[in-house]
Amino acid sequence: MFRDYAEGLSRTALSRALQDHGWIIPASQSIHILAVSVVFTSALLVNLRVMGVGRSGRTAPQLAGALLPWMWVGFGVLLLTGALQTIAEPVREFVTPVYWAKMILISFVVSLTAGYSRARLMGEGRSTRFVPRTLDIGFALLSTVIWVAIIACGRFIGYTSPLYV
Amino acid sequence: MNLSAVWETLQSWTLAAAIRGDLAGTEWIFPIIETCHVIAVSVMVGSIAMVDARLLGIGCRSTAVRGVTTELLPVTWTAWGCAALLGSLLFISKAKVYAGNFDFRMKFVLMGLAGLNMVVFHRGVFRDVARWDTGEPPPAARIAGALSLAFWIGVVFFGRWTGFTT
Repeated sequence: MFRDYAEGLSRTALSRALQDHGWIIPASQSIHILAVSVVFTSALLVNLRVMGVGRSGRTAPQLAGALLPWMWVGFGVLLLTGALQTIAEPVREFVTPVYWAKMILISFVVSLTAGYSRARLMGEGRSTRFVPRTLDIGFALLSTVIWVAIIACGRFIGYTSPLYV
Repeated sequence: MNLSAVWETLQSWTLAAAIRGDLAGTEWIFPIIETCHVIAVSVMVGSIAMVDARLLGIGCRSTAVRGVTTELLPVTWTAWGCAALLGSLLFISKAKVYAGNFDFRMKFVLMGLAGLNMVVFHRGVFRDVARWDTGEPPPAARIAGALSLAFWIGVVFFGRWTGFTT
């Protein structure tokens, strides 16, 4: 089902235009990696602070207040460059289950981060008195593992798609 | 012994053959090491970019410059150590190919320039950081931040391009 859709997408004018310019994919992937740097480092630093790692005076909510806006900007760039790569090479992306695993993990971790930061890190009065509970440490560990898995899936799309084409 | 012979010796090691996937059951070693390398580079570049953003006055402005560096430098150096180790493993798998590749060489030129920029910054304007720690960084610090950001963005671009040209 997805393969037919992918082949249809690869015949569109936009996909063909992207395929015709050989530099677009490497350039888009480079920008994608830079956005990964911003998103993953922001998430990792907040998660480490939630777990009590780090020696800065800033609390986890203070750090989240400074870094989460950058994280969402980075995530927007990820979506844009990711969409560009998918439109340019839809068959390569859609045929491998790793691509779909990545999409599911992204949806999950974004919902988890948005919900958790609203519930525990953002808002008046939370910035100075934050005492991590077991649930907070669970979130931080889960979020870190999922982001690592997303990056791994991203790298493995290219290695696994030849197995399915 | 010339450099070419050194690269050939390195890639003749059994470890290099295993990373290349030439030995039975080692097909996935290269992608796994490469993934870990990308994760380490991401954290390294991300943490450096945050310090650069503070120097440029576009991020973490409510935190003192020394607060940001104290917070991030251990993360940067840990990630750098992992990236260097994993990158070396990737390098020995096809040492001769990488050493002769323009994009790979450019990546190292830019890393060298980024290192030089860091040394000049720490031995120069950063010595007076107490004067501008909580305020607007002086032009020399902003220039150092902008150069650092540009060099590291270049490192990521040439690093990715190496994968397409080797």
